[in-house]
Amino acid sequence: MNGLADIVTVVLVTVGALLFLAGTLGLLRFPDTLSRLHAISKADNVGLGLIVVGLLPQATSLTGGLKPVCVWLLAQLSAATASQLLARTIYDDQVEP
Amino acid sequence: MQVTQTEAGIRMKGTVAARHVLPSALLVRACGLLLLWIILMGPAPQNLPLGLVASAAGVWASTLLWPPDGTISWIGLVRFLLRFLPQSVLAGLDVARRAFARVPDLHPGMANCRSTIPGGLARDSACAVMSLQPGKLPVAADPDGMLHIHCLDLREAVAAQVAADEAAFRRMLKPERRDG
Repeated sequence: MNGLADIVTVVLVTVGALLFLAGTLGLLRFPDTLSRLHAISKADNVGLGLIVVGLLPQATSLTGGLKPVCVWLLAQLSAATASQLLARTIYDDQVEP
Repeated sequence: MQVTQTEAGIRMKGTVAARHVLPSALLVRACGLLLLWIILMGPAPQNLPLGLVASAAGVWASTLLWPPDGTISWIGLVRFLLRFLPQSVLAGLDVARRAFARVPDLHPGMANCRSTIPGGLARDSACAVMSLQPGKLPVAADPDGMLHIHCLDLREAVAAQVAADEAAFRRMLKPERRDG
């Protein structure tokens, strides 16, 4: 049972880290600022979610499992809000140079 | 400029909200925030005073941001989450596919769609949610409800995707709070 939990953790955390890598690649390779914002907001969010889900089998208590889930939800909220504010500022700068 | 108008609108509604939110509703919010604090910081008694202060600050902020009749449909919320979470994963995988491609597979540009979500907090929230969905990033909203959306791929059916996103979001809103 522990072995299965460890496999789940390794697989999900690895895929999560790959999504972080994808977000960073997008940040470097995408052609314009707004496209780069897509990369860091969307890919990193899912990457963090997969890492959190991957760590759940290692939790030793209910609060130990709930804590990373709450952190992920707060990160989702802040990513959505921050990307909105950044996107509006960038767009306003482009429309009104 | 758009942001400033929206924030002003929220503040005005918040002032009204602060006068009308029932004490029982405030208590529920305070308990929820304190529970969140305990989950994040642990149940150690020495952390509790700071947790109480943080919860009180959170409740005060919620009276400014959350409408007095700001109730949501719980069934609608569940249905929304069942759609949002897979779409959010798809959004991440979509970005990863484009980023790992030998030449990034992008046709970026702006699209305009008229929003069916009422202006104010509701529309701002819908835009924030939409920014975590595949390929779309709302960047501005006109007062008449026209959304300016940056898309990673203009070849996709953006209008249909926005309509589906908004339909899922609208199911969460109870009719009385549709003024945002």
